[in-house]
Amino acid sequence: MSITKDFIVEQLKQQIADFKADVKKQTVGVVTQIGDGIARISGLSDCMMSEMLEFKTLKGSVFGVVLNLEEDSVGAIILGDFTEIKEGTEAFATRKILEVPVGESFIGRVINPLGEALDGKGKIEASKSYPIEKIAPGVITRQKVRQPVQTGIKAIDAMIPIGRGQRELIIGDRQIGKTAIAIDTIINQKGQEMKCIYVAIGQKESKIAGIVAKLEEAGAMEYTTVVLAGASDPSSLLYIAPYSGTALAEYFLDKGEDVLIVYDDLSKHAVAYREVSLLLRRPPGREAYPGDVFYLHSRLLERSCKLSKEYGGGSITALPIIETQAGDVSAYIPTNVISITDGQIYLEPDLFYKGNRPAVNAGLSVSRVGSAAQIKAMKKVAGKMRLEAAQYRELAAFAQFGSDLDAETRAKLERGKRITEIFNQDQYVPLAVANQVIIFYALLNGYMDDVAVEKISEFEQGLYKYAATSGKEIINAINKTGEFDAAVEENMKSLINDYKKTL
Amino acid sequence: MKITSKQYAISLFESVKGKKDKEASAAVKKFFDVLVANNQTGQMNKIIDQFLKMWNTENGIVESEFFSAQGLDKETVKLLTGYIAKHTGAKQVIVSQKVDKDILGGVVIKYEDQILDGSLKTRLKNLKEQMVK
Repeated sequence: MSITKDFIVEQLKQQIADFKADVKKQTVGVVTQIGDGIARISGLSDCMMSEMLEFKTLKGSVFGVVLNLEEDSVGAIILGDFTEIKEGTEAFATRKILEVPVGESFIGRVINPLGEALDGKGKIEASKSYPIEKIAPGVITRQKVRQPVQTGIKAIDAMIPIGRGQRELIIGDRQIGKTAIAIDTIINQKGQEMKCIYVAIGQKESKIAGIVAKLEEAGAMEYTTVVLAGASDPSSLLYIAPYSGTALAEYFLDKGEDVLIVYDDLSKHAVAYREVSLLLRRPPGREAYPGDVFYLHSRLLERSCKLSKEYGGGSITALPIIETQAGDVSAYIPTNVISITDGQIYLEPDLFYKGNRPAVNAGLSVSRVGSAAQIKAMKKVAGKMRLEAAQYRELAAFAQFGSDLDAETRAKLERGKRITEIFNQDQYVPLAVANQVIIFYALLNGYMDDVAVEKISEFEQGLYKYAATSGKEIINAINKTGEFDAAVEENMKSLINDYKKTL
Repeated sequence: MKITSKQYAISLFESVKGKKDKEASAAVKKFFDVLVANNQTGQMNKIIDQFLKMWNTENGIVESEFFSAQGLDKETVKLLTGYIAKHTGAKQVIVSQKVDKDILGGVVIKYEDQILDGSLKTRLKNLKEQMVK
């Protein structure tokens, strides 16, 4: 007993002896004005842009970030509780650009934009910090997008394929399934060697709690981090949230891993930045957004990339979400983000209320990477699929006027109805790529023409079940090589025929 | 156009620069008349602040504050003054001493927007933080 006591005392003595009390020269400023999460500080003559400031209040330190450097004052946003900061509070320069802790330990956690845990599972230990703002990788380090991100959503994987390193915008009105697409995509990344980061900007915390519960249930939190800046957080935190999520993504990118990051949503991010900018007295522009609102999003989304082998070969795939008002895609922020991203998934209220879910408008949705981001088997069936879907849309509009149609047109219409039916999919049930290939093949080769439209989903579920038991080799072949050669095609034909016999 | 307090301070400074007392006071009176005419006397405090700052930088004067728990002896003050003069290149250092029991011991020096915290209170706080780690 006495040994341990002595040992502890000895250790304490050692620690005190090791303590070096060095006096550092610090630059200090005095708060002259404070309000709405914005502080104006005089002094701090040599502080840097986006440098962290430490405000010493009675209840401990609060951090802030310099956003404005003016002739005789400094404008800063305060990250956290600003009610303790008063006029006359001292602000110390830290000589550090704002950075957030990153690391493996963040996987499976819910954090705020400063890397602090919000899920009550204890403090997160991190060995490294990354700056939240970073210049995007240059031309030399990049590579073309060519590996797929399987979203598990039939309509998207077939018609609007997304590749690793791509930025695909999800755009649509409120309550129409934008978040659902992103969450399904995260759920479908299980076993695909993907890290996922879900950045919630200005979302209701109840909604996020629901999403986290759903991800946990699906086993998706094993590879997912949720960065949460809720609706009640100050706009300064909302503003840095996507950058801080990207900093975490870059940690995995530097290790050569693939990352999927969802920004939900950038409209609220732009609104938060507008608030901060106006309070800092920057001049307003169109829709009262500041002049650099384009740069706000372009510098964020440019950080998504596919790096070449020499630079680690990692990738960051971004799925930014934009909420439109009454379907107005020509507002300021939607047009900006549409022009930055490599394509968009446009969700339409009319389709949604008609019962097409996900309500993807195939005509307005595009992916500028295209079929380069599909496996070969999918490429083969999906090309035709897109064409037939487009023809159906045209004919359906035209066929409303007359009932006298020739046999060929009627066949096309019937086929089209089945395609739309196939694209309907429930939430939280992403579909494996091999199953998608089988169902598309069955549809395009007329195996489903004799199935009534109402019976399609029943037929579909039965086919998957049958394939899981009797078609293992086909599924394995598609999963392994992604090829779709004559042998696989023959097997598939006989599989579908056999299945139809069991009906 | 609105004239800022800084612009007033600059004009005041330039009008009295290098002048003898009598001429200077005449200039100040004229300046005050202008202020009254422009209805800007409310800005007086700000203008004086700016003017003092400008005067100090022009003449190499640095104002500083020393905080200590018991007051400092002359030799320490001289040493610290020398330190500030060396670091800022000032010709003259104006010292105002203050006694602050809260810092327990040591000394805190403030000049311009720099602060040197050599107080016992801060050292103990740092020690505590390090031991908690």
